[in-house]
Amino acid sequence: MTFQDVLIQQVINGVSLGAIYSLLALGFTMVYGIIELINFAHFNVFMVGSFIAMYILEALGLNGQNVILTGFPLVGVLAVALVGTMLLSGALGVLIERTALRPLRGVPGTAAMITTIGVSYILFNIVLLTIGADAFNFPNPMPKVRWGEAGVVLQLREVLVWVVAIILMVCLNFFVRHTKMGKAMQATAQDQEAARMMGVEVDRVVMITFFLGSALAGAAGLIFGLYYNYTNFAIGYTAGLRAFTAAVLGGIGNIPGAMVGGVIIGLIESLGGQLLEVRWTDVIIFSVLVLVLVFRPTGLFGRITVTKS
Amino acid sequence: MTSIRRRMLLATALGAGISLAIAAGGGLVPAQAAEKSVTIGIDLPLTGADAEGATRIKYGAEMAIDEANAKGGVAGYKLDMMTLNDATASAGQYDPAQAATNAKKFVSDPHVVAAVGPEMSGAGKAMSPILSAGNLAIITPASTNPDITDPKFAGQYRPAGKAIYFRTVTTDAFQGPNMANYMRDTLKMKSVYILDDSGAYGVGIANAYEGQAKKIGVKVLGHDQLNPKEADYTTSLTKIKALNPDAVYYGGVAGAGVKFVKQSYDVMPKTIKAGGDGVFGPEYLSAVGFPAAEGLYATNASPHVTEDPAAQAWVKRYSEKYKVQPDDYAITAYDAALVIIDAIKRVAESGKPVNHDNVRDAIQTAKVKTLQGEVSFDENGDINSRVVSVFQIKHDPKYKDDDIIHQYKYIGVAPQSPAS
Repeated sequence: MTFQDVLIQQVINGVSLGAIYSLLALGFTMVYGIIELINFAHFNVFMVGSFIAMYILEALGLNGQNVILTGFPLVGVLAVALVGTMLLSGALGVLIERTALRPLRGVPGTAAMITTIGVSYILFNIVLLTIGADAFNFPNPMPKVRWGEAGVVLQLREVLVWVVAIILMVCLNFFVRHTKMGKAMQATAQDQEAARMMGVEVDRVVMITFFLGSALAGAAGLIFGLYYNYTNFAIGYTAGLRAFTAAVLGGIGNIPGAMVGGVIIGLIESLGGQLLEVRWTDVIIFSVLVLVLVFRPTGLFGRITVTKS
Repeated sequence: MTSIRRRMLLATALGAGISLAIAAGGGLVPAQAAEKSVTIGIDLPLTGADAEGATRIKYGAEMAIDEANAKGGVAGYKLDMMTLNDATASAGQYDPAQAATNAKKFVSDPHVVAAVGPEMSGAGKAMSPILSAGNLAIITPASTNPDITDPKFAGQYRPAGKAIYFRTVTTDAFQGPNMANYMRDTLKMKSVYILDDSGAYGVGIANAYEGQAKKIGVKVLGHDQLNPKEADYTTSLTKIKALNPDAVYYGGVAGAGVKFVKQSYDVMPKTIKAGGDGVFGPEYLSAVGFPAAEGLYATNASPHVTEDPAAQAWVKRYSEKYKVQPDDYAITAYDAALVIIDAIKRVAESGKPVNHDNVRDAIQTAKVKTLQGEVSFDENGDINSRVVSVFQIKHDPKYKDDDIIHQYKYIGVAPQSPAS
């Protein structure tokens, strides 16, 4: 491997990692955009999502890497798992919003944010106490397709991560910009009171936002599992924190910002680890964050929506 | 706040427990009744993550004690057991605080003359100072961290001076370096990249390995740390792949190890991957799975006895009695109990009182024929034979995928000195 090959390989690694962060970052940024709440429960909705995906795949008859599918059955199984995981994770997000957060709407201060931390710990401990602390062999039906051997290697699993992430982001973008509900979300983000006066059902908008954000976290959980063939009760923390950083880096509340922010964090992680030492990863990521915020306090892309002045 | 309060609560509870135990112990005068008996303590993480291995170890020790009792006891003494669990539900595995409590229970009971355990070095570090103060010997069949018996740390782990932490396995001071010798001589490794999991065991064994690798002329291309909380190691592994080492040595336990083995199979399937007894466990079979786990090298800090023709009668007795296959740490536990039984016998026959002081002194001078060969200890409590066994995962579809006895194949001894 020449040095150039290594850099290209690390870009492939970084973009794949970044795609997972982007999907997660979208959930943070959408909720913040609508109700200015940092939703820490999101960390572990992602983790629960990866377990939901694992159980769906196992229910479809997959076990570890023993069953390999190709062609239509492969696409079918992955589509069922993706849709099922997103629906159930989205429902979990709605449940959290209805039971723990809606009663706190309008309460000033940090009560709602602290509640999300509490919900996050509840999810974490439920999984720990019921499923256990073991590492799990996440089922993966994808054949081992590799392009290149000695130099740069591109694998099917990386292509899958990119394709799924791009499709979901395009759909989300379309939904927010061109549907009635999407426009209602934009209106609510700009000014909740005015939107309410114009007949927007704010509660419903908030619920849809939680559903979409959590469904994307579930999708991230599925592709995380397929990418690493692994899941565990503790995966939410590191990935969640990096994704949150990505959302802030891109400008929290800004949807394209979250997408780009995720990929940037992924690239910083892989290229920073390559050029310096891997044990310094967190130092590098958070230094970049601090530098960006010092010079551009609203993040790289800022908030598109106008906040109350 | 809450964590401080919880700790205070725990400390109070612990304190109450100890004073109760002392009160109970104080009331007992060693009874010289018609049937004389002494107690051997057993401390292991019998629930939680390591329960499977710990139970095999427990059976090994129990078997030696049961067999001695079946022969009519030892020099007129019947042997009782006090089996304590050092795992807690909140830790999910061994808990040093519980291990310390158990050590106090052993020390405060005058019938306990010696103990077998613990399995984990973290528990051993917590127990050792308490046992030292009580001058009660314990023989570990599995914990390999060298610090506990290292004279450099005597002030910390045996403040009273005498060795009380004995081992029927060798330590990571040999487990890492011997594997470096094996990999150079037998696997023809010329260059290696070293990783550890930033834990005490992992850093210790990786550093010992690195020192020896450099000494015998293996090119060490780098030494980096994996964060067990991190999910993605592809950056590290891509970097390592670009350096093209013959082998990667991983010092650490399953937390980071499972992800390391899985992901390195994707990034560099042909590179040799090896580790210590931290990569010897069911997680590497169940959570890593095949084919990713195939070919992984692991070591044990003891001779491989369960397939030794001379031990087959014993293996048969064990598996018939307990309905599980023994592993090598079941053998070292059996050996540890044999050493204690021999010490009790020598003390009794010499006419001295059979108590923990005299039994400790007798263990120190032991020369006992056991399943693994003759066991004797140096002045720090470490076993004089320093055998490290090498295993490799080779999938055998005849057995269940997570059957550690059959999926890890024994392939030889890692030599203490290199070939040239």
